Amino acid sequence: MDEPPRDLPEAAQRRFAQGAFSSGLSVSDFAACLEMGLEPVGLVQGFCAMHWGAFTRTGVMGRGVTPFAGAQGGWVRNYQCPHGMVSAEHRAWGQNYEQTWIEDAWREGFNSAYVRMMEEAQELGAHGVVGVIDTENPLSDTGVMEFHLRGTAVKLLDAPSTAQTPWSTFLAGQRLAKVFEAGYAPVSIVTSVASIRVWAYCVTEYLMEGTGGAWAGAVGTFEVDQIVNAQTKVRDLARARVRATLHGDSLHGANMSVSQREYAKGDLELQSRLSGNRVRRFKDFDPLPVAQPTVRLS
Amino acid sequence: MSAIRPGDAHLRDEVRRALAFLETPSSAPATAAMTSDLSIDEELNLHSISWEPVELVSGISLFSIPYGYWNWGQGEIVAASEAHSQAFATATSRIQSETAKAGGHGVVGMHIERAIHPTHVEISLVGTAVRPVGAAAINGTHIFTSDLSARDFTVLMVAGWEPLGLATGASFVFAPRRSMGAVIQQQSQNVELTNFTEAMYSAREAAMERMQRDALAMKGTGVVDVKVLEGPMHFASHAVGFVALGTVVRLAKATHQPIKPITVVSLNDLAVGFDAQTLG
Repeated sequence: MDEPPRDLPEAAQRRFAQGAFSSGLSVSDFAACLEMGLEPVGLVQGFCAMHWGAFTRTGVMGRGVTPFAGAQGGWVRNYQCPHGMVSAEHRAWGQNYEQTWIEDAWREGFNSAYVRMMEEAQELGAHGVVGVIDTENPLSDTGVMEFHLRGTAVKLLDAPSTAQTPWSTFLAGQRLAKVFEAGYAPVSIVTSVASIRVWAYCVTEYLMEGTGGAWAGAVGTFEVDQIVNAQTKVRDLARARVRATLHGDSLHGANMSVSQREYAKGDLELQSRLSGNRVRRFKDFDPLPVAQPTVRLS
Repeated sequence: MSAIRPGDAHLRDEVRRALAFLETPSSAPATAAMTSDLSIDEELNLHSISWEPVELVSGISLFSIPYGYWNWGQGEIVAASEAHSQAFATATSRIQSETAKAGGHGVVGMHIERAIHPTHVEISLVGTAVRPVGAAAINGTHIFTSDLSARDFTVLMVAGWEPLGLATGASFVFAPRRSMGAVIQQQSQNVELTNFTEAMYSAREAAMERMQRDALAMKGTGVVDVKVLEGPMHFASHAVGFVALGTVVRLAKATHQPIKPITVVSLNDLAVGFDAQTLG
């Protein structure tokens, strides 16, 4: 993540200086933190409201301007109609392309909220932030998205403050304790988004409508290559992006979600999101013995 | 690794050691990154039998179904059953290929997403590629896929069994429309609609047989954790579907290894067995 800008609100600095700590941890997680020698020092948060300025550029109205309108420097794949001139409405070309401006806006919004949260943690002299929760909420129908990250800043008991950027993790409590016991140190939360727009060409349109067999001169089931390509690529891009941030570390507890919006048969917008905990091994592989199975009597 | 011992100094020492390591300038690893969607508990389970996660992998497929197959006809809706089968097989082949490329020997904890639409079937598989610690890559055709959690995979292996792959069977069948006379006759009666019952039985037998055929093709002994998904199709009033899927297993050791679980009982107070209503 980028270096945090020094723009902490004055009221937040005053609040942090008051002494009492706040925490988003449950009582169990709070107890586990103390067991690990981590002292909660404050509930830290970061916000960012982002306007998706260019979001509608490739909406339904955009189709047909040019086959190469959507490339914008990102990944793109073109599809050409095999039928020749059929009619003016015939989808003679198709395209899958990466919506880099959406990815950039999302990344900027998330990273801004993240660095603001980390700035608060640094202000508190924290060594790390545990139990991070991130949410995204649309603020209105005008393409505004609010990013909100929050977590509990912790200090290592009896340890001097550090000038380094605090570490962060989605985990807290016993699960975090197990990460340490397994030989991993938390480095940071990581997350990425990929967005792909599919302009269906005629073959994709017909297959998705169920009339593809007639155009292909055969009746039966066919794989819809353009959609599969987009679905695969949207996952690949998110994974590649997260992998690029790991620098040899590992990603634990990853969560990948894919959402889809269909404008017309085969005209899709796909978005994938991958997040997880970046961790670094600090001791050699040293497995637990096989766990003892138990049966519970109630 | 020592056991997890909250309350003593060991855990605190480990935390200090870990965080001190992060501050070491040369602590950045030179190894390849590993990605996994397993929880830390699942990874510890895998480690205990000397397996490790390698990479988050996925396989996608989407097959079209010709228009108009769902509404009128008799018997099985062959195009739908075939589309489901082909989409599953293709997605599986792709996740196996990704796993082979990552050096994995199998996929555990696979999330299976299925979407059946009137004109297409979409299958999405996402899971974590795993392998015995440090093992060399193997041929893609020998890679197993399974939706068993890493915990269940560990228990299976400890018991001397091994997963071979995910077997699936799907069948979509028409429930023949009743004659006008039958509709009028049955309208005021409580009566079994045998057209639907028989369609469901027909779909079930075909799907279960296909899953079993998959298992035999993998030279498995049986299928565990079978999931059954059945019912009417929301977009076709006279069609029913039945899908069965589970993990094919076979004995890897000479005999089954008893896992000998110990019995535990909670000493917490249970709900008091007193109900005031019984006093009346």
